[in-house]
Amino acid sequence: MSLPDKKVDGGWNRVHPASPFVRGWVALAAVGFFFGRDAFERMLQGRDFLDPNLNGRVPWLLAGGAVVLLLTVGGFILSWYFTRYQVAEGYVRVNTGFLFKQQRQARLDRVQAIDIVQPLLARIFGLAELKFEVADAGESAVRLAYLPLDQAKQLRATILARAAGVVSGPEATEEVPEAPEHVVLSVPPGRLIGSLLLSEQTIGILVGAAVVVAVSVFTQNQTLFLALIPGILGIGAAYWTSFNKGYNFTAAISPDGIRLRYGLLDTQAQTLPPGRIQALMVTQPPLWRIFGWYRMHVNVAGYGVSASTEGAARTMLLPVGLKPDVMRMMSLVLPDPGVEDPERVFTAGLEGLAPVGSSNPAPDEQVPDVQTDGFTTTPRRARLLAPLGWRRNGFRATRTALLIRSGRWWRALVMVPHQRTQSMALHQGPWARRFGVADLVLHTTAGPVSPRVFQAGVSQAVELFDQQAARAREARKRQTSEQWLAQVAPQAPEVAAAAELGKPAELGKPVQPEQHQTSTHQEDRHDG
Amino acid sequence: MHTEAIDPPGVQWLRVSPKYVTVRLVEWAIGNVLMVAVLSLPLIFVLLGWWRWPPLWLAITVPAVMLVLALWRLVLIPRQVRAIGYAERDDDLLIRRGIFFQRTMVVPYGRMQYVDVAVGPVERGLGLCTLKLHTASAGTNAHLPGLPAEEGARLREQLSARGEARLAGL
Repeated sequence: MSLPDKKVDGGWNRVHPASPFVRGWVALAAVGFFFGRDAFERMLQGRDFLDPNLNGRVPWLLAGGAVVLLLTVGGFILSWYFTRYQVAEGYVRVNTGFLFKQQRQARLDRVQAIDIVQPLLARIFGLAELKFEVADAGESAVRLAYLPLDQAKQLRATILARAAGVVSGPEATEEVPEAPEHVVLSVPPGRLIGSLLLSEQTIGILVGAAVVVAVSVFTQNQTLFLALIPGILGIGAAYWTSFNKGYNFTAAISPDGIRLRYGLLDTQAQTLPPGRIQALMVTQPPLWRIFGWYRMHVNVAGYGVSASTEGAARTMLLPVGLKPDVMRMMSLVLPDPGVEDPERVFTAGLEGLAPVGSSNPAPDEQVPDVQTDGFTTTPRRARLLAPLGWRRNGFRATRTALLIRSGRWWRALVMVPHQRTQSMALHQGPWARRFGVADLVLHTTAGPVSPRVFQAGVSQAVELFDQQAARAREARKRQTSEQWLAQVAPQAPEVAAAAELGKPAELGKPVQPEQHQTSTHQEDRHDG
Repeated sequence: MHTEAIDPPGVQWLRVSPKYVTVRLVEWAIGNVLMVAVLSLPLIFVLLGWWRWPPLWLAITVPAVMLVLALWRLVLIPRQVRAIGYAERDDDLLIRRGIFFQRTMVVPYGRMQYVDVAVGPVERGLGLCTLKLHTASAGTNAHLPGLPAEEGARLREQLSARGEARLAGL
């Protein structure tokens, strides 16, 4: 396996000296609070600074406080001193700890995503945390907290350039320029607020409030409203978090991959290298249909599935967007949709509904119906099983990806690139057997998207199962190497030029690097 | 064994060892007999006159229902074991299971991250083992119980070798 650079470079670096304080300010504040509160309150009340009853014990208390403070600060300094990182020889290495040492190294070409996070306090100090994700669905492989923002950006550029296989000269090690980027879309705050107001939680709140009001009127019990207060606080916090995370959302494309930036107080910049998205889901809650809004989630191997708001935000590819935005993001994620008229196909996936009569009249008919935009839907005989969704639930395989649509009210379109399919399973319960249908589940890495073809006709499901296995096999053979830019590095300036001209990344005319990534037959590392 | 509706056509399924029924019986006994016994305690106490609260009909119904369910599961075990099958194809491994709730799974060799062979105490006594395949997806819950030990070892080696030859990135 060829490494981009044999030379040991970079040496060992330390994070910014202020980082432990930025990270551990809570601990410092707690110490201060614990020892200072009493004296502070006394001062406010105009009494002596120290409790007169303590007398002889004062020096001991002060000494105790000082010792705790010193220990904390000393721990901070030690932890800072012993934290070092290095980017060299195709690896990023981080050593931490002084009592229990930890040495960690991650291969650069295994990078799944790289994030720069700025919590509010770090942002005030101009610091940033760098997160480096590899595929293990757990915590971040490497977290460097905190670096000066410029240095973090520089490091990100270096890591991505090396991971991409752009071999930099010996003297240019620290001077890898940041890849040029071209903003594809941004979400205006008004739309974000609107989307929050019309989201599912609002429906839940309205229903809940109606129930409470009805019950309280019915029972003439006013105290019931008091019980709502914690709920309201929680809901307010949830709205705030969504707003804080989704504010100023911007998506951009660069040769490094897709760049996402967002955040009001805490800002985050994610970089998803090309081809790292395992599955994608476009959803539309019922009320969003009024304005034609959609949101998009992705599965990325390093992000994993986490219930925390941070995890939820990281897997968000688009918090709210119109159909053209969705199409643009689709074209970034899947530069080669593998069909002639992608816009029509995606539209059918997003909003399509099979005509009542025409869907699969004969149980064994294999020909995809032209009138249903090529989506094979649940056969009519199973309409009792899914009275609402049977005309909507469907799938369509293109040359490069499988599209799965579902949901009559909660519309969803899931896309899984063929080369990202891990394994598959057909499921059939007794009811499904009675109606001659089966579900096909595609397994991808952990994340919010769980692709499942609902209630496809048995013969179509089995056929899809077989074909999909073959397609995934073919796609894997074509798969490019981990070093995605190795082939396109010379073309990078063209992209820059295109970006400067403000040429939009049109659907079907993808930005240069991705096209190469999917179409070039590269290296024989994954030779089957 | 006849091929079920959702199985891909033309697949020759290999069956797991019939001795696996014994393993399942032991598991069944540990789970269900204990549960029925615990649920029968109120009945005994009521009959002995120690307890008053659960009325007699309730004290009888609960364990009786559990007993019927447990017996139903017991009757199903041999058929369930017979329904487990696997097939090695050129590029992937097929695993099927289930009678009422059927599942047919395909795991490409190139996607396998690692292969586990696990042996429990009862399985060891019968010379069986359980093979588990892991891909990058947690959803791939592919385990193949009740393989004879040498077949398990063979499969493990075979799968590892094929996986290495066809290894693909994520």
